[in-house]
Amino acid sequence: MRPARVALAVALPLLVLVAWQLVSWIASPREWMLPSPAAVGQAAWGARDRLWFHAQWTVLIAVIGLLLAVALGSAIAYLIARSRIARLALYPWVVVSQVIPLVALAPLLVLWFPPFVAIVALAVLMSIFPVVVAGVDGLRGTDPDLVRAARGLGADEGWAWRHVRVPAALPRLFTGIRLAAVFVVSGAVVGELVASDRGLGALTRLSAGQFETPVTFAGVVLLALIGLALFGAVALAERAALPWTRRATRRGS
Amino acid sequence: MNLIWVMPAKGVDVPHGHDIWVTGASLRLGDDPPVDVLGGVDLHAAGGEVTAIVGPSGCGKSTLLDAIAGLVPLEHGTVRTGGDVALMPQRDALMPWLTLHENVAMGARLGGTGTDAADDAAADALERLGLTGFARHYPHALSGGMRQRGALARTLLSRRSTWLLDEPFGALDALTRSDMHGVLRHLHAEARPTILLVTHDIGEAVALAGRVLVAGPRPMRIVDAIPVDASEPQATASAVMDALRRAGAVA
Repeated sequence: MRPARVALAVALPLLVLVAWQLVSWIASPREWMLPSPAAVGQAAWGARDRLWFHAQWTVLIAVIGLLLAVALGSAIAYLIARSRIARLALYPWVVVSQVIPLVALAPLLVLWFPPFVAIVALAVLMSIFPVVVAGVDGLRGTDPDLVRAARGLGADEGWAWRHVRVPAALPRLFTGIRLAAVFVVSGAVVGELVASDRGLGALTRLSAGQFETPVTFAGVVLLALIGLALFGAVALAERAALPWTRRATRRGS
Repeated sequence: MNLIWVMPAKGVDVPHGHDIWVTGASLRLGDDPPVDVLGGVDLHAAGGEVTAIVGPSGCGKSTLLDAIAGLVPLEHGTVRTGGDVALMPQRDALMPWLTLHENVAMGARLGGTGTDAADDAAADALERLGLTGFARHYPHALSGGMRQRGALARTLLSRRSTWLLDEPFGALDALTRSDMHGVLRHLHAEARPTILLVTHDIGEAVALAGRVLVAGPRPMRIVDAIPVDASEPQATASAVMDALRRAGAVA
Protein backbone atom coordinates (compact mmCIF):
# COMPACT_ATOMS: atom_id res chain seq x y z
CA MET A 1 0.00 0.00 0.00
CA ARG A 2 1.28 3.43 -0.85
CA PRO A 3 2.44 5.60 2.09
CA ALA A 4 -0.23 8.23 1.42
CA ARG A 5 -2.94 5.58 1.63
CA VAL A 6 -1.55 4.11 4.85
CA ALA A 7 -1.35 7.58 6.34
CA LEU A 8 -4.98 8.31 5.51
CA ALA A 9 -6.15 5.02 6.96
CA VAL A 10 -4.32 5.55 10.21
CA ALA A 11 -5.18 9.26 10.50
CA LEU A 12 -8.66 8.92 11.93
CA PRO A 13 -7.88 6.40 14.70
CA LEU A 14 -4.82 8.44 15.63
CA LEU A 15 -6.95 11.55 15.87
CA VAL A 16 -9.39 9.73 18.12
CA LEU A 17 -6.57 8.52 20.35
CA VAL A 18 -5.11 11.99 20.69
CA ALA A 19 -8.51 13.52 21.44
CA TRP A 20 -9.18 10.82 24.02
CA GLN A 21 -5.84 11.41 25.75
CA LEU A 22 -6.49 15.16 25.80
CA VAL A 23 -9.93 14.66 27.33
CA SER A 24 -8.36 12.46 30.01
CA TRP A 25 -5.75 15.09 30.84
CA ILE A 26 -8.18 17.94 30.92
CA ALA A 27 -11.25 16.40 32.51
CA SER A 28 -9.47 13.73 34.61
CA PRO A 29 -12.36 11.29 34.77
CA ARG A 30 -12.23 8.43 37.26
CA GLU A 31 -10.08 5.66 35.91
CA TRP A 32 -12.81 3.10 36.40
CA MET A 33 -15.07 5.28 34.26
CA LEU A 34 -12.93 6.40 31.35
CA PRO A 35 -9.29 5.40 31.51
CA SER A 36 -6.80 7.26 29.35
CA PRO A 37 -5.15 5.50 26.41
CA ALA A 38 -1.98 5.43 28.42
CA ALA A 39 -3.72 3.64 31.30
CA VAL A 40 -5.26 1.15 28.89
CA GLY A 41 -1.87 0.50 27.35
CA GLN A 42 -0.30 -0.07 30.75
CA ALA A 43 -3.09 -2.37 31.89
CA ALA A 44 -2.92 -4.30 28.64
CA TRP A 45 0.77 -4.85 29.09
CA GLY A 46 0.33 -5.88 32.70
CA ALA A 47 -2.45 -8.32 31.88
CA ARG A 48 -0.91 -9.59 28.65
CA ASP A 49 -0.87 -13.20 29.69
CA ARG A 50 -4.53 -13.14 30.59
CA LEU A 51 -5.40 -11.25 27.42
CA TRP A 52 -3.44 -13.70 25.28
CA PHE A 53 -5.15 -16.69 26.89
CA HIS A 54 -8.64 -15.31 26.35
CA ALA A 55 -7.87 -13.97 22.89
CA GLN A 56 -6.79 -17.40 21.68
CA TRP A 57 -10.08 -18.83 22.82
CA THR A 58 -12.13 -16.19 20.99
CA VAL A 59 -10.05 -16.54 17.84
CA LEU A 60 -10.58 -20.29 17.87
CA ILE A 61 -14.35 -19.91 18.16
CA ALA A 62 -14.45 -17.19 15.51
CA VAL A 63 -12.42 -19.19 13.01
CA ILE A 64 -14.40 -22.41 13.51
CA GLY A 65 -17.63 -20.44 13.42
CA LEU A 66 -16.66 -18.69 10.20
CA LEU A 67 -15.62 -21.89 8.46
CA LEU A 68 -18.86 -23.58 9.46
CA ALA A 69 -20.90 -20.56 8.41
CA VAL A 70 -19.21 -20.54 5.01
CA ALA A 71 -19.64 -24.29 4.47
CA LEU A 72 -23.25 -24.48 5.69
CA GLY A 73 -24.21 -21.15 4.17
CA SER A 74 -22.86 -22.09 0.75
CA ALA A 75 -24.63 -25.45 0.85
CA ILE A 76 -27.92 -23.84 1.84
CA ALA A 77 -27.51 -21.19 -0.84
CA TYR A 78 -26.92 -23.86 -3.49
CA LEU A 79 -30.02 -25.79 -2.43
CA ILE A 80 -32.18 -22.69 -2.36
CA ALA A 81 -30.97 -21.50 -5.73
CA ARG A 82 -31.27 -24.87 -7.39
CA SER A 83 -34.57 -26.17 -6.07
CA ARG A 84 -37.84 -24.33 -5.72
CA ILE A 85 -38.95 -26.72 -3.01
CA ALA A 86 -35.79 -26.09 -1.02
CA ARG A 87 -36.31 -22.36 -1.40
CA LEU A 88 -39.86 -22.51 -0.07
CA ALA A 89 -38.86 -24.82 2.75
CA LEU A 90 -35.59 -23.25 3.84
CA TYR A 91 -35.56 -19.55 3.09
CA PRO A 92 -38.23 -18.54 5.60
CA TRP A 93 -36.35 -20.34 8.38
CA VAL A 94 -33.11 -18.69 7.42
CA VAL A 95 -34.79 -15.32 7.76
CA VAL A 96 -36.50 -16.29 11.03
CA SER A 97 -33.14 -17.31 12.47
CA GLN A 98 -32.00 -13.75 11.98
CA VAL A 99 -35.04 -12.03 13.33
CA ILE A 100 -34.87 -13.74 16.73
CA PRO A 101 -32.48 -11.68 18.86
CA LEU A 102 -29.51 -13.93 19.41
CA VAL A 103 -28.91 -12.55 22.86
CA ALA A 104 -32.26 -14.04 23.84
CA LEU A 105 -31.46 -17.31 22.13
CA ALA A 106 -28.11 -17.69 23.83
CA PRO A 107 -29.31 -18.92 27.25
CA LEU A 108 -31.51 -21.51 25.52
CA LEU A 109 -28.64 -22.84 23.47
CA VAL A 110 -26.52 -23.08 26.59
CA LEU A 111 -29.28 -25.07 28.25
CA TRP A 112 -29.36 -27.59 25.43
CA PHE A 113 -25.73 -27.92 24.40
CA PRO A 114 -22.30 -28.02 26.00
CA PRO A 115 -20.94 -24.45 26.26
CA PHE A 116 -18.39 -24.74 23.45
CA VAL A 117 -21.00 -26.03 20.99
CA ALA A 118 -23.49 -23.39 22.06
CA ILE A 119 -21.01 -20.56 21.57
CA VAL A 120 -19.92 -21.82 18.16
CA ALA A 121 -23.59 -22.23 17.21
CA LEU A 122 -24.22 -18.61 18.13
CA ALA A 123 -21.22 -17.47 16.12
CA VAL A 124 -22.50 -19.43 13.13
CA LEU A 125 -26.06 -18.14 13.47
CA MET A 126 -24.81 -14.60 13.60
CA SER A 127 -22.71 -14.89 10.47
CA ILE A 128 -24.48 -17.35 8.19
CA PHE A 129 -27.12 -15.02 6.78
CA PRO A 130 -24.87 -12.84 4.58
CA VAL A 131 -23.27 -15.97 3.16
CA VAL A 132 -26.63 -17.47 2.20
CA VAL A 133 -27.99 -14.27 0.71
CA ALA A 134 -24.83 -13.52 -1.26
CA GLY A 135 -24.61 -17.12 -2.43
CA VAL A 136 -28.20 -17.22 -3.68
CA ASP A 137 -27.77 -13.86 -5.33
CA GLY A 138 -24.60 -14.98 -7.06
CA LEU A 139 -26.06 -18.27 -8.29
CA ARG A 140 -29.28 -16.73 -9.55
CA GLY A 141 -27.59 -13.79 -11.19
CA THR A 142 -25.33 -15.66 -13.60
CA ASP A 143 -24.75 -13.87 -16.89
CA PRO A 144 -27.21 -15.69 -19.19
CA ASP A 145 -24.77 -15.49 -22.11
CA LEU A 146 -22.30 -17.65 -20.21
CA VAL A 147 -24.92 -20.32 -19.61
CA ARG A 148 -26.05 -20.03 -23.23
CA ALA A 149 -22.48 -20.49 -24.43
CA ALA A 150 -22.00 -23.64 -22.34
CA ARG A 151 -25.38 -25.14 -23.28
CA GLY A 152 -24.67 -24.15 -26.87
CA LEU A 153 -21.53 -26.29 -26.79
CA GLY A 154 -23.52 -29.26 -25.56
CA ALA A 155 -23.41 -28.96 -21.79
CA ASP A 156 -26.48 -30.15 -19.87
CA GLU A 157 -28.10 -28.25 -16.99
CA GLY A 158 -26.11 -30.11 -14.34
CA TRP A 159 -22.80 -29.32 -16.02
CA ALA A 160 -23.82 -25.70 -16.44
CA TRP A 161 -24.64 -25.48 -12.71
CA ARG A 162 -21.37 -27.00 -11.59
CA HIS A 163 -19.01 -25.42 -14.08
CA VAL A 164 -20.63 -22.10 -14.92
CA ARG A 165 -23.04 -20.89 -12.26
CA VAL A 166 -20.94 -21.88 -9.24
CA PRO A 167 -17.65 -20.27 -10.37
CA ALA A 168 -19.56 -17.23 -11.62
CA ALA A 169 -21.14 -16.86 -8.17
CA LEU A 170 -17.87 -16.86 -6.24
CA PRO A 171 -17.13 -13.12 -6.34
CA ARG A 172 -20.52 -12.33 -4.89
CA LEU A 173 -20.23 -15.15 -2.36
CA PHE A 174 -17.00 -13.64 -1.08
CA THR A 175 -18.78 -10.37 -0.43
CA GLY A 176 -21.03 -12.32 1.90
CA ILE A 177 -18.05 -14.05 3.50
CA ARG A 178 -16.40 -10.72 4.23
CA LEU A 179 -19.52 -9.62 6.10
CA ALA A 180 -19.66 -12.95 7.90
CA ALA A 181 -16.07 -12.49 9.08
CA VAL A 182 -17.06 -9.37 10.92
CA PHE A 183 -20.31 -10.71 12.39
CA VAL A 184 -18.82 -13.98 13.60
CA VAL A 185 -16.72 -12.16 16.19
CA SER A 186 -19.86 -10.53 17.62
CA GLY A 187 -21.52 -13.92 17.77
CA ALA A 188 -18.58 -15.42 19.63
CA VAL A 189 -18.61 -12.56 22.12
CA VAL A 190 -22.36 -12.83 22.75
CA GLY A 191 -21.89 -16.50 23.48
CA GLU A 192 -18.98 -15.90 25.78
CA LEU A 193 -20.80 -13.16 27.64
CA VAL A 194 -23.63 -15.52 28.44
CA ALA A 195 -22.05 -18.87 28.77
CA SER A 196 -18.38 -18.85 29.35
CA ASP A 197 -15.53 -17.93 31.65
CA ARG A 198 -13.10 -18.06 28.77
CA GLY A 199 -12.67 -15.78 25.80
CA LEU A 200 -12.50 -12.02 25.44
CA GLY A 201 -16.25 -11.67 25.84
CA ALA A 202 -16.00 -13.39 29.19
CA LEU A 203 -12.98 -11.30 30.12
CA THR A 204 -14.79 -8.04 29.46
CA ARG A 205 -17.69 -9.21 31.58
CA LEU A 206 -15.48 -10.32 34.46
CA SER A 207 -13.20 -7.31 34.41
CA ALA A 208 -16.07 -4.85 34.06
CA GLY A 209 -17.67 -6.51 37.05
CA GLN A 210 -14.45 -5.87 39.00
CA PHE A 211 -14.23 -2.27 37.72
CA GLU A 212 -10.99 -3.17 36.00
CA THR A 213 -12.01 -0.81 33.22
CA PRO A 214 -8.59 -0.44 31.56
CA VAL A 215 -8.50 -4.20 31.06
CA THR A 216 -12.04 -4.13 29.68
CA PHE A 217 -10.99 -1.49 27.20
CA ALA A 218 -7.97 -3.52 26.23
CA GLY A 219 -10.23 -6.50 25.65
CA VAL A 220 -12.50 -4.47 23.41
CA VAL A 221 -9.57 -3.15 21.38
CA LEU A 222 -8.30 -6.69 20.95
CA LEU A 223 -11.72 -7.82 19.72
CA ALA A 224 -11.68 -5.07 17.13
CA LEU A 225 -8.24 -6.18 16.00
CA ILE A 226 -9.38 -9.78 15.74
CA GLY A 227 -12.30 -8.71 13.58
CA LEU A 228 -9.98 -6.70 11.36
CA ALA A 229 -7.56 -9.59 11.07
CA LEU A 230 -10.32 -12.00 10.06
CA PHE A 231 -11.61 -9.51 7.51
CA GLY A 232 -8.09 -9.14 6.13
CA ALA A 233 -7.63 -12.91 6.01
CA VAL A 234 -10.82 -13.27 3.97
CA ALA A 235 -9.66 -10.53 1.61
CA LEU A 236 -6.38 -12.37 1.10
CA ALA A 237 -8.18 -15.66 0.55
CA GLU A 238 -10.37 -13.93 -2.00
CA ARG A 239 -7.41 -12.64 -3.95
CA ALA A 240 -5.88 -16.10 -3.97
CA ALA A 241 -9.10 -17.86 -4.95
CA LEU A 242 -10.26 -15.38 -7.57
CA PRO A 243 -7.18 -14.36 -9.53
CA TRP A 244 -9.25 -13.20 -12.47
CA THR A 245 -10.95 -10.45 -10.52
CA ARG A 246 -7.78 -8.44 -10.33
CA ARG A 247 -8.46 -6.26 -13.31
CA ALA A 248 -5.61 -5.42 -15.65
CA THR A 249 -4.94 -1.74 -16.15
CA ARG A 250 -3.94 -2.17 -19.78
CA ARG A 251 -5.53 -4.43 -22.36
CA GLY A 252 -3.84 -6.32 -25.17
CA SER A 253 -3.65 -4.78 -28.62
CA MET B 1 -1.86 -9.68 -37.79
CA ASN B 2 -0.45 -12.75 -39.46
CA LEU B 3 -2.23 -16.03 -39.44
CA ILE B 4 -0.01 -19.02 -39.79
CA TRP B 5 -1.87 -21.86 -41.41
CA VAL B 6 0.53 -24.72 -41.26
CA MET B 7 -1.57 -27.84 -41.14
CA PRO B 8 -5.00 -28.97 -39.99
CA ALA B 9 -5.66 -29.00 -36.27
CA LYS B 10 -4.29 -31.91 -34.27
CA GLY B 11 -6.85 -34.36 -33.07
CA VAL B 12 -9.77 -32.42 -34.47
CA ASP B 13 -11.65 -34.08 -37.20
CA VAL B 14 -15.02 -32.58 -37.88
CA PRO B 15 -17.52 -34.40 -40.06
CA HIS B 16 -18.81 -32.49 -43.05
CA GLY B 17 -21.83 -30.50 -41.95
CA HIS B 18 -25.42 -31.59 -42.34
CA ASP B 19 -28.22 -29.58 -43.85
CA ILE B 20 -30.43 -27.57 -41.54
CA TRP B 21 -34.15 -27.78 -42.24
CA VAL B 22 -36.66 -25.69 -40.34
CA THR B 23 -40.36 -25.96 -41.16
CA GLY B 24 -43.14 -23.84 -39.76
CA ALA B 25 -41.31 -22.92 -36.58
CA SER B 26 -43.52 -20.94 -34.25
CA LEU B 27 -42.79 -19.75 -30.77
CA ARG B 28 -44.46 -17.50 -28.31
CA LEU B 29 -42.57 -16.13 -25.34
CA GLY B 30 -43.42 -14.31 -22.18
CA ASP B 31 -46.54 -14.06 -20.06
CA ASP B 32 -47.77 -10.58 -19.81
CA PRO B 33 -48.82 -10.46 -22.61
CA PRO B 34 -47.26 -13.35 -24.51
CA VAL B 35 -45.46 -12.30 -27.67
CA ASP B 36 -45.32 -14.21 -30.94
CA VAL B 37 -41.61 -14.24 -31.64
CA LEU B 38 -41.40 -16.79 -34.44
CA GLY B 39 -44.34 -16.81 -36.80
CA GLY B 40 -43.81 -19.90 -38.91
CA VAL B 41 -40.18 -19.83 -39.99
CA ASP B 42 -39.21 -21.98 -42.96
CA LEU B 43 -35.57 -22.20 -43.87
CA HIS B 44 -32.98 -24.42 -45.42
CA ALA B 45 -29.24 -24.09 -44.95
CA ALA B 46 -27.12 -26.32 -47.17
CA GLY B 47 -24.71 -28.71 -45.47
CA GLY B 48 -21.13 -27.53 -45.34
CA GLU B 49 -22.06 -24.05 -46.58
CA VAL B 50 -22.30 -20.66 -44.92
CA THR B 51 -25.80 -19.22 -44.85
CA ALA B 52 -26.53 -15.79 -43.43
CA ILE B 53 -29.73 -14.47 -41.88
CA VAL B 54 -30.20 -10.72 -42.05
CA GLY B 55 -33.06 -8.91 -40.40
CA PRO B 56 -34.05 -6.01 -38.15
CA SER B 57 -33.01 -5.94 -34.48
CA GLY B 58 -35.26 -7.72 -32.10
CA CYS B 59 -37.04 -9.72 -34.79
CA GLY B 60 -36.28 -13.03 -33.14
CA LYS B 61 -33.09 -14.16 -34.84
CA SER B 62 -31.43 -15.14 -31.55
CA THR B 63 -34.52 -17.04 -30.50
CA LEU B 64 -34.51 -18.91 -33.79
CA LEU B 65 -30.93 -19.99 -33.21
CA ASP B 66 -31.80 -21.08 -29.66
CA ALA B 67 -34.62 -23.18 -31.10
CA ILE B 68 -32.39 -24.77 -33.73
CA ALA B 69 -29.83 -25.58 -31.05
CA GLY B 70 -32.51 -27.22 -28.98
CA LEU B 71 -32.26 -24.80 -26.08
CA VAL B 72 -35.83 -23.61 -26.43
CA PRO B 73 -38.76 -25.85 -27.39
CA LEU B 74 -40.93 -24.82 -30.34
CA GLU B 75 -44.66 -24.63 -30.08
CA HIS B 76 -45.19 -25.67 -33.65
CA GLY B 77 -42.91 -26.73 -36.45
CA THR B 78 -39.86 -28.90 -36.76
CA VAL B 79 -36.14 -28.52 -36.87
CA ARG B 80 -33.83 -31.01 -38.53
CA THR B 81 -30.10 -30.72 -38.13
CA GLY B 82 -27.46 -33.41 -37.96
CA GLY B 83 -28.05 -33.31 -34.21
CA ASP B 84 -24.57 -31.97 -33.82
CA VAL B 85 -25.04 -28.29 -33.17
CA ALA B 86 -22.86 -25.65 -31.51
CA LEU B 87 -24.28 -22.24 -30.70
CA MET B 88 -22.06 -19.23 -30.26
CA PRO B 89 -23.85 -16.35 -28.50
CA GLN B 90 -23.46 -12.68 -29.31
CA ARG B 91 -20.81 -11.67 -26.87
CA ASP B 92 -17.78 -13.91 -26.80
CA ALA B 93 -19.00 -15.39 -23.50
CA LEU B 94 -15.63 -16.77 -22.51
CA MET B 95 -15.72 -17.87 -18.87
CA PRO B 96 -14.03 -15.04 -16.96
CA TRP B 97 -12.48 -17.38 -14.39
CA LEU B 98 -10.68 -19.52 -16.96
CA THR B 99 -7.59 -18.58 -18.91
CA LEU B 100 -7.84 -18.34 -22.68
CA HIS B 101 -6.29 -21.79 -23.00
CA GLU B 102 -8.69 -23.30 -20.47
CA ASN B 103 -11.64 -21.71 -22.22
CA VAL B 104 -10.66 -23.13 -25.59
CA ALA B 105 -9.94 -26.54 -24.06
CA MET B 106 -13.41 -26.45 -22.50
CA GLY B 107 -14.86 -26.55 -26.01
CA ALA B 108 -12.88 -29.69 -26.76
CA ARG B 109 -13.88 -31.38 -23.51
CA LEU B 110 -17.56 -30.64 -24.09
CA GLY B 111 -17.07 -32.12 -27.53
CA GLY B 112 -16.01 -35.39 -25.93
CA THR B 113 -12.24 -35.08 -26.20
CA GLY B 114 -10.24 -36.37 -23.25
CA THR B 115 -8.40 -33.91 -20.98
CA ASP B 116 -4.86 -34.29 -22.36
CA ALA B 117 -5.94 -34.33 -25.98
CA ALA B 118 -8.11 -31.30 -25.24
CA ASP B 119 -5.15 -29.38 -23.84
CA ASP B 120 -3.06 -30.22 -26.89
CA ALA B 121 -5.81 -29.32 -29.31
CA ALA B 122 -6.36 -26.03 -27.50
CA ALA B 123 -2.69 -25.13 -27.59
CA ASP B 124 -2.60 -25.99 -31.27
CA ALA B 125 -5.69 -23.92 -32.08
CA LEU B 126 -4.33 -20.93 -30.18
CA GLU B 127 -1.07 -21.16 -32.07
CA ARG B 128 -2.84 -21.22 -35.40
CA LEU B 129 -4.84 -18.18 -34.42
CA GLY B 130 -1.77 -16.28 -33.28
CA LEU B 131 -2.83 -16.28 -29.64
CA THR B 132 -0.17 -18.46 -28.01
CA GLY B 133 1.35 -15.56 -26.10
CA PHE B 134 -2.02 -14.93 -24.45
CA ALA B 135 -2.88 -18.50 -23.55
CA ARG B 136 -2.50 -17.88 -19.83
CA HIS B 137 -4.32 -14.55 -19.81
CA TYR B 138 -7.77 -14.11 -18.41
CA PRO B 139 -10.44 -12.82 -20.82
CA HIS B 140 -10.67 -9.39 -19.21
CA ALA B 141 -7.06 -8.73 -20.23
CA LEU B 142 -7.74 -9.46 -23.90
CA SER B 143 -9.11 -7.26 -26.65
CA GLY B 144 -12.50 -7.96 -28.22
CA GLY B 145 -10.92 -9.44 -31.33
CA MET B 146 -8.78 -11.83 -29.32
CA ARG B 147 -11.72 -12.95 -27.24
CA GLN B 148 -13.80 -13.57 -30.33
CA ARG B 149 -10.99 -15.57 -31.91
CA GLY B 150 -10.84 -17.57 -28.69
CA ALA B 151 -14.57 -18.15 -28.82
CA LEU B 152 -14.32 -19.35 -32.42
CA ALA B 153 -11.48 -21.69 -31.50
CA ARG B 154 -13.61 -23.04 -28.67
CA THR B 155 -16.48 -23.67 -31.07
CA LEU B 156 -14.16 -25.34 -33.58
CA LEU B 157 -12.81 -27.69 -30.93
CA SER B 158 -16.27 -28.80 -29.87
CA ARG B 159 -16.24 -30.91 -33.04
CA ARG B 160 -19.78 -30.03 -33.92
CA SER B 161 -20.67 -30.18 -37.56
CA THR B 162 -23.14 -27.30 -37.42
CA TRP B 163 -22.34 -23.84 -36.09
CA LEU B 164 -24.95 -21.26 -35.24
CA LEU B 165 -23.24 -17.89 -34.92
CA ASP B 166 -25.30 -15.13 -33.34
CA GLU B 167 -23.91 -11.79 -34.55
CA PRO B 168 -20.42 -12.96 -33.65
CA PHE B 169 -18.59 -9.85 -34.83
CA GLY B 170 -21.15 -7.20 -33.94
CA ALA B 171 -19.18 -5.80 -31.04
CA LEU B 172 -15.93 -5.40 -32.97
CA ASP B 173 -14.55 -2.41 -34.81
CA ALA B 174 -14.49 -2.50 -38.61
CA LEU B 175 -10.81 -3.43 -38.94
CA THR B 176 -11.00 -6.29 -36.48
CA ARG B 177 -14.21 -7.41 -38.10
CA SER B 178 -12.56 -7.80 -41.51
CA ASP B 179 -9.77 -9.69 -39.86
CA MET B 180 -12.27 -12.04 -38.27
CA HIS B 181 -13.95 -12.62 -41.62
CA GLY B 182 -10.65 -14.02 -42.83
CA VAL B 183 -10.38 -16.21 -39.72
CA LEU B 184 -13.86 -17.58 -40.18
CA ARG B 185 -13.25 -18.29 -43.86
CA HIS B 186 -10.10 -20.26 -43.03
CA LEU B 187 -11.77 -22.22 -40.26
CA HIS B 188 -14.70 -23.00 -42.49
CA ALA B 189 -12.50 -24.06 -45.39
CA GLU B 190 -10.72 -26.48 -43.14
CA ALA B 191 -13.52 -28.08 -41.20
CA ARG B 192 -16.51 -27.48 -43.54
CA PRO B 193 -19.17 -27.22 -40.84
CA THR B 194 -22.62 -25.96 -41.78
CA ILE B 195 -22.65 -22.35 -40.64
CA LEU B 196 -25.79 -20.36 -40.01
CA LEU B 197 -24.70 -16.80 -39.36
CA VAL B 198 -27.01 -14.16 -37.98
CA THR B 199 -25.88 -10.63 -38.70
CA HIS B 200 -27.29 -7.14 -39.03
CA ASP B 201 -24.45 -6.19 -41.39
CA ILE B 202 -25.44 -6.81 -45.01
CA GLY B 203 -21.83 -6.38 -46.17
CA GLU B 204 -20.72 -9.09 -43.78
CA ALA B 205 -23.48 -11.43 -44.93
CA VAL B 206 -22.51 -10.97 -48.56
CA ALA B 207 -18.78 -11.34 -47.79
CA LEU B 208 -19.12 -14.59 -45.89
CA ALA B 209 -22.21 -16.46 -47.06
CA GLY B 210 -23.21 -18.35 -50.15
CA ARG B 211 -26.85 -17.49 -49.53
CA VAL B 212 -28.56 -14.71 -47.59
CA LEU B 213 -31.92 -15.30 -45.93
CA VAL B 214 -33.94 -12.18 -45.26
CA ALA B 215 -36.00 -12.15 -42.07
CA GLY B 216 -39.05 -9.99 -41.55
CA PRO B 217 -39.99 -8.19 -38.35
CA ARG B 218 -41.77 -9.93 -35.50
CA PRO B 219 -43.44 -12.43 -35.66
CA MET B 220 -40.46 -13.55 -37.66
CA ARG B 221 -40.58 -15.36 -40.96
CA ILE B 222 -38.01 -15.80 -43.66
CA VAL B 223 -39.34 -13.69 -46.48
CA ASP B 224 -36.65 -14.06 -49.10
CA ALA B 225 -33.56 -16.08 -49.97
CA ILE B 226 -30.92 -14.43 -52.12
CA PRO B 227 -28.00 -16.35 -53.55
CA VAL B 228 -24.73 -14.47 -53.27
CA ASP B 229 -22.97 -13.64 -56.50
CA ALA B 230 -19.34 -13.42 -55.42
CA SER B 231 -18.42 -11.49 -58.55
CA GLU B 232 -21.12 -8.86 -57.91
CA PRO B 233 -21.24 -8.25 -54.16
CA GLN B 234 -22.72 -4.77 -54.57
CA ALA B 235 -25.60 -6.11 -56.62
CA THR B 236 -26.27 -8.83 -54.09
CA ALA B 237 -26.17 -6.34 -51.25
CA SER B 238 -28.67 -4.13 -53.06
CA ALA B 239 -30.94 -7.10 -53.63
CA VAL B 240 -30.82 -7.91 -49.92
CA MET B 241 -31.55 -4.30 -49.05
CA ASP B 242 -34.54 -4.28 -51.39
CA ALA B 243 -35.85 -7.47 -49.86
CA LEU B 244 -35.52 -5.96 -46.38
CA ARG B 245 -37.47 -2.90 -47.50
CA ARG B 246 -40.20 -5.02 -49.00
CA ALA B 247 -40.44 -6.97 -45.77
CA GLY B 248 -40.98 -3.74 -43.86
CA ALA B 249 -37.77 -4.23 -41.98
CA VAL B 250 -36.22 -0.99 -43.13
CA ALA B 251 -37.82 2.35 -43.94
